[in-house]
Amino acid sequence: MGLKAYLEKIEPNFEPGGKYEKWYALYEAAATIFYTPGKVNKAGTHVRDSIDLKRIMIMVWIATFPAMFFGMYNIGLQAQDAIAAGAGTVPDAWQAALFSALGGDLANAGTLGLFFYGACFWLPIYAVTFAVGGFWEVLFASVRKHEVNEGFFVTSVLFALTLPATIPLWQVALGITFGVVIAKEVFGGTGRNFLNPALSGRAFLYFAYPAQISGDQVWVAADGFSGATSLSQAASGNLDYSNMDQWMSSFIGTISGSAGEVSALAIMIGGLFIMYMRIASWRIVAGVAIGVAFFATLLNMIGSDTNPMFAMPAHWHFVIGGLAFGMFFMATDPVSASFTNKGKWAYGIFIGFMTVLIRVLNPAFPEGVMLAILFANLWAPLFDYFVAQSNIKRRVARVG
Amino acid sequence: MADTKEMKKVLFGPILDNNPIALQVLGICSALAITTKLETALVMSLALTSVVAFSNLFISAIRNQIPSSVRIIIQMTIIASLVIVVDQILKAYSYEISKQLSVFVGLIITNCIVMGRAEAYAMKSPPLMSFLDGIGNGLGYSFILICIGTVKELFGFGTILGFEILPLVQNGGWYQGNGLLILPFSSFFLIGGMVWIIRTFRPEQVEPKE
Amino acid sequence: MSAKKESLGKTVGIVVAVCLVCSIVVSGAAVGLRELQQTNAKLDKQTNILVAAGLYETGMSNDTIEAKFEEFVVPRYVDLDSGEFTEAPSPDYDMYKAAKVTETSTPVTNSNVGFQRRPNVASVYLVRDEAGKVTRVVLPVHGSGLWDLMYGFLAVDADGKTVKELIYYQQKETPGLGGEVQNPAWQEKWDGKKLYENGEVAIKVKKNANPDNPHSVDALSGATLTSNGVQNTIQYWVGEQGFGPFLKKQAWRS
Repeated sequence: MGLKAYLEKIEPNFEPGGKYEKWYALYEAAATIFYTPGKVNKAGTHVRDSIDLKRIMIMVWIATFPAMFFGMYNIGLQAQDAIAAGAGTVPDAWQAALFSALGGDLANAGTLGLFFYGACFWLPIYAVTFAVGGFWEVLFASVRKHEVNEGFFVTSVLFALTLPATIPLWQVALGITFGVVIAKEVFGGTGRNFLNPALSGRAFLYFAYPAQISGDQVWVAADGFSGATSLSQAASGNLDYSNMDQWMSSFIGTISGSAGEVSALAIMIGGLFIMYMRIASWRIVAGVAIGVAFFATLLNMIGSDTNPMFAMPAHWHFVIGGLAFGMFFMATDPVSASFTNKGKWAYGIFIGFMTVLIRVLNPAFPEGVMLAILFANLWAPLFDYFVAQSNIKRRVARVG
Repeated sequence: MADTKEMKKVLFGPILDNNPIALQVLGICSALAITTKLETALVMSLALTSVVAFSNLFISAIRNQIPSSVRIIIQMTIIASLVIVVDQILKAYSYEISKQLSVFVGLIITNCIVMGRAEAYAMKSPPLMSFLDGIGNGLGYSFILICIGTVKELFGFGTILGFEILPLVQNGGWYQGNGLLILPFSSFFLIGGMVWIIRTFRPEQVEPKE
Repeated sequence: MSAKKESLGKTVGIVVAVCLVCSIVVSGAAVGLRELQQTNAKLDKQTNILVAAGLYETGMSNDTIEAKFEEFVVPRYVDLDSGEFTEAPSPDYDMYKAAKVTETSTPVTNSNVGFQRRPNVASVYLVRDEAGKVTRVVLPVHGSGLWDLMYGFLAVDADGKTVKELIYYQQKETPGLGGEVQNPAWQEKWDGKKLYENGEVAIKVKKNANPDNPHSVDALSGATLTSNGVQNTIQYWVGEQGFGPFLKKQAWRS
């Protein structure tokens, strides 16, 4: 029996009145991975593109691969460097034990070995995100009797990529729970959330367990090693902005940080892909870039004797911290961003401005992208409102 | 005089059926600020309950004498006096807690529950019923505050009323305190959650769709 | 609310009566309880000083606190410029109020301590043992943390060089991070640290400090700016502009 025939045969069980009525959401989710939905429009349609939500989401998911793979390699690389420099030891964690049980040797690992070391740390984080977030997603879908939404694929991978490699897994579970339940489901599920769920989950962890995640300490999967991230180095004036070698390694991503945020290059490859596919709005990305560049340059000119962050040039802002990742993957989330074209510009520029503002002027938070995007999420409908109002006004004036 | 059933409704109704915070959404400000520890939440509850009860009692007692043109001023005067007295008593007998509550005792004056009950109930009801209504609304407020205070202190600091329940990592235990719950704004989430729970069991409280 | 009570005379009469009753109640409460409140404020301060002096035990009754304070603690005043003891400028002298007045204060220079002027005369508390010998000196210190000024007491051994306690009693730092300055486990790390090396202020709050190093104290994890604030505060107050001259002269020995 073919797969299609099998799926069609078991379908009645999941329909209203069937034996597994409650599990329709799960059935639907699995079946549509293989085949397009059986529902067909009967009246005239407005389809302009053959792409559907599930394909969009899979596209975004694939677009994170460069950053994801590089991130895993980098987790291994950072740990190896720290241990080689005598600054740390192999951590006493089951992830490291798993790695050596599979025959890995961190001290002498090559590219592939480092990648596997990173995978031993990052994949469990992703798995927990997926399992716990998926549980909530299916629960709400079942109770509300709608289909499981594929948006969760993206939320989970984006959330996992913003986390440091050393985060305890129970915190991962709590964070994604908050992101899915509080930021999304209580407002009615995908499409009705006004905040980005992945970022909300991270923001929850950021405020709840700041010692582990605030970006103050370096995230390296090696024991006894602790230093400062590039951002907090910059905040204390220890980053040399004229050192282009260091800028290059920040751009390529061989610096310490969360798995997905280190390599501006890998993020850009994925980001350009989704922009080319018209999934991410180029207006938002360009808006953020302009906002950061303009405001950072302005602060460079103002200058400050006591705050070394004032002097950070714009090209540094883009390569350190989570700006690149936030700009390409978080800010462009179509649900929580502005909808109109002009609104998107305003939304993007606002994010860029807020990011630099928080990074430079707030003493407590070294990183500003996450809070800037969440803050801009709240404003997004307002930008749309003003754009719509001004259009109405113009038309009224024209018609008279 | 009203019968016992009526009195019961006035006294216990505000806890779930007509909760001042969860349904009327009054008095949120102090519920956010002082619920980080259960102890302060308890003292605040006590302070507010006594202020509402007595302001209701006194205002109701002279309600037939109060000229309507200046009734808000008279209500404010009485409430403000009661709040100052409560504040003074706290400073005298419970100095540590009054330091933690700081301005929030004084801000009971502006707490909407007190004014709201005085204007909506005490101005047209007999003293005893007004007194009970004040206690009832105080209990409704206290109920929310105590729930939130318990959750925040237990998961934020790992203690209940200062007794260690979940030993913190900083002190050599295993529990990692949740920093979000220590911050005042987390009460928004908790109050929202409580509204959700109460309305699941009391569906009649859900507003009709616009 | 019928029209009959709306006559002007009655309205004024009621308002006056209510105000009169209320003011009597309020002033009655204020006057009647004032003594108790002042005792409380005093006890609070004495408790903090006793903690810094190492004489406080949890569950002490108010009377014991007062008695212990009377017996073992001697409040004195120090002229910060000369480092010598001086008379109290006024009977109820408050150094934090004096810092706001130009005549009784000096501007702060070259320091990130977080305030502009310091008083000329500071209060100190000498802690004596049963024989009347000074064992510790408790110095009031304050300086900015991340959000606001933090107030505390620094207890120094009678040798004038060794820290015994650093306790903060008033701060608005982020709970769980900077707020940990009040955590006893962290306060304990200060015990026995040395303030000076070769006559210079050498004590440092830094990350991953070696506990055996007598000049460094481990910073609070996740609270770099609060830790820097503590560093600046101590640096200032035991330095030349603060209690440095006083700790060098050791006037309490004579």
